[in-house]
Amino acid sequence: MRTGRRRNAWAALVGAIAVALALPLVPASAEETPSSSGTAEKTVFTVGITQDVDTTNPFTGIAAASFEAYQMMYPTLTEYSAEDFSTVPGLAESWEESEDQTYWTYKIRPGLKWSDGQPLTARDAAYTFNRVINGDIEQTNYGGYTSTITKAVAEDDTTLKLFVKRPSPIMYHLAVYILPEHIWKNIDGKQAKSYKNEPKDGEPVVGGGPFVLVERRKGEFLRFEANPNFYGGKPAADEVVFRVYKNTDAIAEALRKGEIDYANDLSANVFNSLEGAEGITTVPSVYSGFNQIAFNMGAALTDGTPIGNGSKLVLDPQVRLAVAQAIDRQVLADKVYGGFATPGSTVIPPLYRDLHLEPADPVGFDLAAANATLDAAGYTMGDDGVRVSPDGERMSLRLLGRQESSESQKVVEYVKDWLGQIGIEVDVRIVSEDTLYEKVGNGDFDMFEWGWVVEPDPDYQLSTFTCDQRSTDDDGTIIAGLSDSFYCDAEYDKLYEAQKLQTDPAERAAVVRQMQQMLYDSNAYVVTVYYDNPTAYRSDRWTNFTPQPAPDGVLLFQYGTWSYESITPVVEDAGDATSTAAGLTPGLILGAVVGGVGLFLIGYWLGRRRPSDYDVE
Amino acid sequence: MASDQQTPGRPQGRRAIARARRREALGRGWRQFRTHRGGMAGLGILVFFTLVALLAPVLFPPETISVTQATGELLAPPSAEYWLGTDDSGRSMLALLAWGARVSLTVGIAATLISMVIGTSVGIASGHYTGFGGATLQRLTDWVLVIPFLPLAIVLATVLGGGSTLTIIVVIGVTSWAGTARLIRAQTLSVEGRPYLERSRALGSGNWHQMTRHVLPNVFPLVLTNTTLTVAIAILSETTLSFLGLGDPLRPSWGSTLDQAFSNGAVSAGAWWYIGPPGLCVVLVVLSFTMIGRALEQIVNPRLGRQ
Amino acid sequence: MSLIQDVAGSGGPDPIPGPPPLPRKEKGSRGLSPGATFALRKTGAALGTLFFVLVVNFFLFRLLPGDPIGMYTRGRNVPPEQLAELRAELNRPVLEQFLTYLRNPFASTIDSAQFNRPVWELVTERIWPTLLLVGTAIVLASIIGVWIGIKAGWKRGKSFDKVSTGVTLTLYSMPEFWLGMILLIIFGVGAFGLPGMFPIGGISSPGVDTSSLAGWLDVAWHMVLPVTTLTLVYLAEYALVMRSSLVDEMDEDYLTTARAKGLMDRLVRRRHAVPNALLPTVTLIFLNLGFTVSGAITVETVFSWPGLGLLSYEALRGPDVALLQAIFLLFSIGVVLANLVADLLYAVIDPRVRS
Repeated sequence: MRTGRRRNAWAALVGAIAVALALPLVPASAEETPSSSGTAEKTVFTVGITQDVDTTNPFTGIAAASFEAYQMMYPTLTEYSAEDFSTVPGLAESWEESEDQTYWTYKIRPGLKWSDGQPLTARDAAYTFNRVINGDIEQTNYGGYTSTITKAVAEDDTTLKLFVKRPSPIMYHLAVYILPEHIWKNIDGKQAKSYKNEPKDGEPVVGGGPFVLVERRKGEFLRFEANPNFYGGKPAADEVVFRVYKNTDAIAEALRKGEIDYANDLSANVFNSLEGAEGITTVPSVYSGFNQIAFNMGAALTDGTPIGNGSKLVLDPQVRLAVAQAIDRQVLADKVYGGFATPGSTVIPPLYRDLHLEPADPVGFDLAAANATLDAAGYTMGDDGVRVSPDGERMSLRLLGRQESSESQKVVEYVKDWLGQIGIEVDVRIVSEDTLYEKVGNGDFDMFEWGWVVEPDPDYQLSTFTCDQRSTDDDGTIIAGLSDSFYCDAEYDKLYEAQKLQTDPAERAAVVRQMQQMLYDSNAYVVTVYYDNPTAYRSDRWTNFTPQPAPDGVLLFQYGTWSYESITPVVEDAGDATSTAAGLTPGLILGAVVGGVGLFLIGYWLGRRRPSDYDVE
Repeated sequence: MASDQQTPGRPQGRRAIARARRREALGRGWRQFRTHRGGMAGLGILVFFTLVALLAPVLFPPETISVTQATGELLAPPSAEYWLGTDDSGRSMLALLAWGARVSLTVGIAATLISMVIGTSVGIASGHYTGFGGATLQRLTDWVLVIPFLPLAIVLATVLGGGSTLTIIVVIGVTSWAGTARLIRAQTLSVEGRPYLERSRALGSGNWHQMTRHVLPNVFPLVLTNTTLTVAIAILSETTLSFLGLGDPLRPSWGSTLDQAFSNGAVSAGAWWYIGPPGLCVVLVVLSFTMIGRALEQIVNPRLGRQ
Repeated sequence: MSLIQDVAGSGGPDPIPGPPPLPRKEKGSRGLSPGATFALRKTGAALGTLFFVLVVNFFLFRLLPGDPIGMYTRGRNVPPEQLAELRAELNRPVLEQFLTYLRNPFASTIDSAQFNRPVWELVTERIWPTLLLVGTAIVLASIIGVWIGIKAGWKRGKSFDKVSTGVTLTLYSMPEFWLGMILLIIFGVGAFGLPGMFPIGGISSPGVDTSSLAGWLDVAWHMVLPVTTLTLVYLAEYALVMRSSLVDEMDEDYLTTARAKGLMDRLVRRRHAVPNALLPTVTLIFLNLGFTVSGAITVETVFSWPGLGLLSYEALRGPDVALLQAIFLLFSIGVVLANLVADLLYAVIDPRVRS
């Protein structure tokens, strides 16, 4: 009897657990996401991201998603247009350089308010600029914009004057996020280092951009609500959520299941697998990034002291030309990037239509021509199929690829193959990007594969080829500059300085084009491709995205918040546009049933076994 | 084998006898091995994969795995032309697997050699020397034994610089010897207690002589069995480390093929032919080594035979 | 214990130590009870291992080529005084740095490079998901594995034994992440006409409140595939070990006697053989946590499970040295402590060990 009772007790316990697990399923299925807080009409636009926002404090973040968040939370003086990256009004409705070129005047829109109702004026802007100019930690992210500015003065609520050391085109687009003085004056430089800038006690973070941050869970999501006080008017989407996923596979699946509404940076395979899925629209989206094979053109410090162990071979322009002729950029675009790329040429991508130079006499893929180039330059083919230089050196070059990128690893494999066919032996090493950065800074390379994402303002990109950006020596430690090719040309540097001071956009563009031609002719970089940003979104829920640039640019993660402001929910599905975990409920029920039955069986088994163990004797 | 080394001034006759004896023992072992169905099956699989690895350049000329000369469509499912489909560069999966066998087997065997040399030396030395040295070696063995393998291997590979086959070999070799060392130490201790070793000591033979002439030949069968089992684990480890991106992507082993497949979204694309076969090859080869090892172990240690 | 060595214990990277060998007689036990001496010695050994780990962890990373500060500050505008601070720290005598490190190994002066956050903070929030995943898998694997081992061992050579040994050996030869990918492609993405039923990654669906019951069920639903993967891989080993210990146990004289006395076969198994054979198996489950760590790293990677394993994979990018150091340390501490607990528990259960 004793054991019989025990068995019943076991079975009953396990059964009760099973029932307890299964019972609440019905109400559970009706449960909403916490983000929609009950009201069904709220429209939530959910973006899947793979790298979490590191911090919502605009002074300390470094992740791409963080800057996307800052753009949503805070205004800037001017913005880049969605159409073609031209300068358009932001917080300032107009701007003007003084006759003597010593200061700029920005007219701030009148009557604006922060999200908490406090007035948003030129004084906030002046406060922010002065804080950056005189700051320490504040310099980290924005020092580059304020290096020419000496001080900021708010003459009245709508007039901001920025005084400059010298004329600079950077004044057209100062991407410094204007912060509310009444909040930030209480956070000094020291506190700002560790200040989280997250919602507290249910109070949103005070902001002036199209959305305000209302909730944040690290590693999980950020939730923004539309800001009714935004100068561009309250956006149509009530809420925007950034949700963190671990990889693009997970993001693609979440999109398919309707957990999110938008995903980008998809791999070609994932993109293709989403194509044609119901309710999903896929767009390749042209992007502002390029990848290149770079050469070591004589690694040296800024004072000209040679460093590193680069091969002499790649110093010969004819060798670099031959390599350029031996790389089939179209094949790389098609096969390595799955068609989501276009063959590259110069260092300013074509989506910057006003600045990009399409070379007049492009170098095409032609192995015969490449061989001829090397033959003519005196590189004779050896018996082992590897050429020998006029000085008797075997043509063996090192090529570094990146561990982090499967495309990079494939590109170097293709390049190795092609160069093998023109008699250049390639020793490929795959290293992490940090190691590559280090090796490049020290000049310990012949060639490498990497890339840049180019800003609408060409200054930064062009600076990477100036003599001043070569490495420097700090007490025996070599510190890398921005230059990774060690290209150094006095003529080029002169042009660089000229464009830096030129505040007339058309004249500046002419100089920028001239510089691209110089770089192209030198083959310091063989720009392999301009890659796309494969994107997919739930077109059954959201429409009216604004690409940047028109007509086929990226839809989000732009220079500006155009799409967040313009998107509207698809009407017939409005109630459903909240990102509920669709498709989850049947799964849950099944899981609970299986689990319950399993537990019951285990319990029954345990109960059944006991008597034979302990009661026979 | 060590006792096969040429020692000048030794009468030929004795060596001949020893060799004949050894040959006889080997023959006896082979006859026993043949009765093990599992062991024989393992041997069959292993011979097959070894042949494939050796013949890969003949069966699939290097062009077939060259990315610039690949002819197939990208990520095509199995077809008459490509029996196992293609990878995301349009290369034949079959050719990739054959070439991968070369890398996987090489790494497995080379890493095992390192591991065996370290493990056997440390094991014999720590069993033979009773003083501070032996104790230190034993401590070291215990420590290495406890540290979780994969984190240690990851750290080592990072320090040595990932992305090279040699790194993988060294990392597996220097992280996997401790088990062998412990096993060999135990065996050494039991050998050291035997009368002929005491006699040899009494005759004034040195430590080196004792270890290489008497202990080593006696622990050798154990080393051999252990080797096959270690190869199995070394190949598994190679697969894991390569999957984590520490292998050489230009010399694709089965593990780095899986890494390629995973990081290029083959899972989402449902490309099962890109993921299934490399793993299956690993399972088969690892299983074959394990089964051979089990069979050998039963021959070496007949007590296990009953199982 | 033969099969333990037979299958895995022989020098593999996942060494499976048998039950602790009988210790030699201690000379200087100084009047302490044998139990206390044993516990002290074991604890001492564990501390020794931990110290060894710390030494490895500290000095190995010094060997990394390149300038750690340069790597860390790359791509960001670090204020000069912070840079100077970091440089000063790095230029102190190595021994001094090591002592500082010993005082608190987790208080790294450098944040994680890619997460831009203190490593300790990152690591702690990832512990629980790993414990949940690995813990569940170990519990399931030991129940199922032991059950299979008993059935196979008791009816040695019968068809169940043959089939189960074949299956477990195959599972044992399998890279666990590959099994995971196969399960993922079949049951997560959906292949061969199957619908993708299970989530393909993560620990919970977005927007589900993980503290609610629905949230718990959602987590459970996400756990199905990764737990199945790990369970299958772990149980192979447990089944093989249980089988061989049972086989060993059955050859003991007392069992033959018991059977000869005419006790029911099942009863002999249940009352004598199994409990005795269970002991080494249970110990093994603890002693073998190093092996489970490997599984956690790759399987978490495949299923994007936000635990320490995935963090290790993420730390490889860069590599994120500060993060890698912390993870290695944490895994090692965990495994060493589990080993110690196993040793002590074993001694409590089986007093022969501490003699």
